[in-house]
Amino acid sequence: MSPRARGILATLAALALAPGALAVLRAMPAFGDHPLPYGDAVNRIAPAERIVSNMVTAVNFDLRGFDTLGEEVMLLAAVVGTVVVLRGSRGEGVGDRPATCGDRPIPPRSEAVVLLCRIIAPLTLLYGLYVVLHAQLTPGGGFQGGAIIGSGLLLVWVGEGYNAWRRLVPGVVLHALEGGGAGLYALMGFGAMLTGAAFLTNVLPLGEWGSILSGGVIPVVNFGVGLAVSGAFGMLFLEFLEETREPKDGEEP
Amino acid sequence: MTPLLAGLLLLVAATGAGVVLTRQPRRQVMAMAANGLALTVLFTALQAPDVAFSQLVVGTAAVPLLFLAVLASIRLHRPEEKE
Amino acid sequence: MSALPWLVALWLFAIGFYGMMTSRHYVHLIGCLSVMQSGTYVLLLAAGFRWGAGPPIFSDHPPGTPAVDPVVQALVLTDIVVGAAVTALLLALALQLHKRRGTLDPEELKPMRR
Repeated sequence: MSPRARGILATLAALALAPGALAVLRAMPAFGDHPLPYGDAVNRIAPAERIVSNMVTAVNFDLRGFDTLGEEVMLLAAVVGTVVVLRGSRGEGVGDRPATCGDRPIPPRSEAVVLLCRIIAPLTLLYGLYVVLHAQLTPGGGFQGGAIIGSGLLLVWVGEGYNAWRRLVPGVVLHALEGGGAGLYALMGFGAMLTGAAFLTNVLPLGEWGSILSGGVIPVVNFGVGLAVSGAFGMLFLEFLEETREPKDGEEP
Repeated sequence: MTPLLAGLLLLVAATGAGVVLTRQPRRQVMAMAANGLALTVLFTALQAPDVAFSQLVVGTAAVPLLFLAVLASIRLHRPEEKE
Repeated sequence: MSALPWLVALWLFAIGFYGMMTSRHYVHLIGCLSVMQSGTYVLLLAAGFRWGAGPPIFSDHPPGTPAVDPVVQALVLTDIVVGAAVTALLLALALQLHKRRGTLDPEELKPMRR
């Protein structure tokens, strides 16, 4: 189909759908002024029932725990797919020198960059860990903290160079984090079944209000998600940056 | 509708259009980071700090970096690129 | 005026769709897809908003004070992170396509036109 025909078809489709969209717009409730039955129920019940102060975490890792396991598996599948697609043609080797674009020279790292990265990288990783661990209390959680840790690993690459980065952050560790985190989540669900309860029931003691270990199962599965997401983002960066390296002889088809 | 929320919603709409209408991928990465930042501020104003956190890390750092790595790799594997 | 959030969500979805339809570069197309996706985030979070309510995190203010809907926030939160991983998968496919066929223009990649 030519771009022109496609444009005409899309315009016709948009014109056909427009009355429906208008009807939906008119039927939408007033913004910020309508009942929120589920949200209000969670806000009323969860603080007392689960001893956590962050309702979003309570929904994610307890009330919707099974759905989050599904999301976790989606993340795992997407990352595994990416790795398979990229390695399928490249092989598993590590390129030992950066690929250059024509004869453009590679600028050396300045000392200011190295110094800043050595200061900021540990702080970023520590902050990511903090965000993961305080999921039930303050904004944050396994998903956000994991993304911070995974992206913070990049600062090592910026500051220390590619080869040092690959040495400090071996791929095997990231694989173990990714799989181990998802495994921890699933095992926690099966662990609840050992006590005779349903999958992912909150069987652990709930702890005290405001404590870092409050919430029973929530901190455990949240930690699993934190491990998996940091491993996932680390692996994604590693695979994509490996693509910018000169391939070893005989690996490129 | 407060002016703050209305302004942020319009900002998100404008930066979203910017991402689409920036046809050159290398410039689009910057537009994406701007859109991610606008979404972050909007989510904070909508009382969703958790989501804003997630959007900040993913939308302004992680995803643009992945795009940059891909664009670098595309350039490297086609020396006879016509631009 | 009260319909502005819904209109913005619709606008993001529509403009992202328009971009995907007219895109001449797969990397650009993936960026347009993420704009479409952000339309759903705006829709969900706006649906859970309530005037005068605080965030659903009861560490600064005690439980029982009005708060916005945490359920939609949980949905959007996980989707942002998982969406990033799916974007990475799409980028990997685009990279692979570029290695095999040497182009990323959808118009040049008609299956019969080798």
